[in-house]
Amino acid sequence: MNEKKYAALEKEISPKTPYLRNCIKAFLVGGTICLIGQFVALFYMTYFDFTERTSSNPTVSTMIFFAMLLTGFGFYKKIGQIGGAGGSVPITGFSNAVVSAAIEHKSEGYVLGVGGNMFKLAGSVILFGVFSAFVVALIKTILVKLGVVSW
Amino acid sequence: MLIILFLVSGCSLIDNDFEVQNYSAMDEQEVKDVLASDDRLASAVVLFFEEELIVGVRAKTFSRFHKTKIEKDIKKQLKEKYPDLTITVSADSKIKMETKKLIVKEDQEKLDIGIKKIKSLLKEET
Repeated sequence: MNEKKYAALEKEISPKTPYLRNCIKAFLVGGTICLIGQFVALFYMTYFDFTERTSSNPTVSTMIFFAMLLTGFGFYKKIGQIGGAGGSVPITGFSNAVVSAAIEHKSEGYVLGVGGNMFKLAGSVILFGVFSAFVVALIKTILVKLGVVSW
Repeated sequence: MLIILFLVSGCSLIDNDFEVQNYSAMDEQEVKDVLASDDRLASAVVLFFEEELIVGVRAKTFSRFHKTKIEKDIKKQLKEKYPDLTITVSADSKIKMETKKLIVKEDQEKLDIGIKKIKSLLKEET
């Protein structure tokens, strides 16, 4: 059996990836997480002196805290299994990546274990997050200069 | 089908709803005309008090990207109509919420404290 034949056979046998179903699941799970985030923002606006703009910081922190608890109790991986990208793209996915790595390497000690491995997964998120933020800000600056949108 | 209907229900159009409370001698019809002529607005709360005019607006869903521009446009139009007043226009829902609270309370003595609070909220950056 040569390489091509094997590839064809493998393609034939392996089940098809249900792209559409995955997309819908990710949309619903990600959307639900964002809906909860919206409620948290509304809570900060109603009961504290935060405006729509300033409420984003405490909202993000709260969502990270929720995801941290869910990861610690082992619920977040179930959400991730159902939602896929819907569970990993929002800020809660970032929190899950940090906390799960910290839990996993706890046995190796607090400094070299937790400290050294905490950002093993999340490091890429930070890098590409900063980079994409730069790109988005650049696009927005251009659009603002052209007068298409306002700040 | 039901799910789609449920999902797009948020896109439905909201009727224009403008609420005005006047504690000054100014004519409130002009502000109503300015707000009614802007079709990017979903609702608004207006409060006149002595030399102050606070306008909290809610932009329609797809106009929310242009909130700053809407604020600027309305403020400019109102400044022409009421040159003597200090005008504050905001599309932030917190400002609308706080202005509404002041109107509902109907406590004229505490109005200036409330207005000061609204203005300090707007200055907050982080």
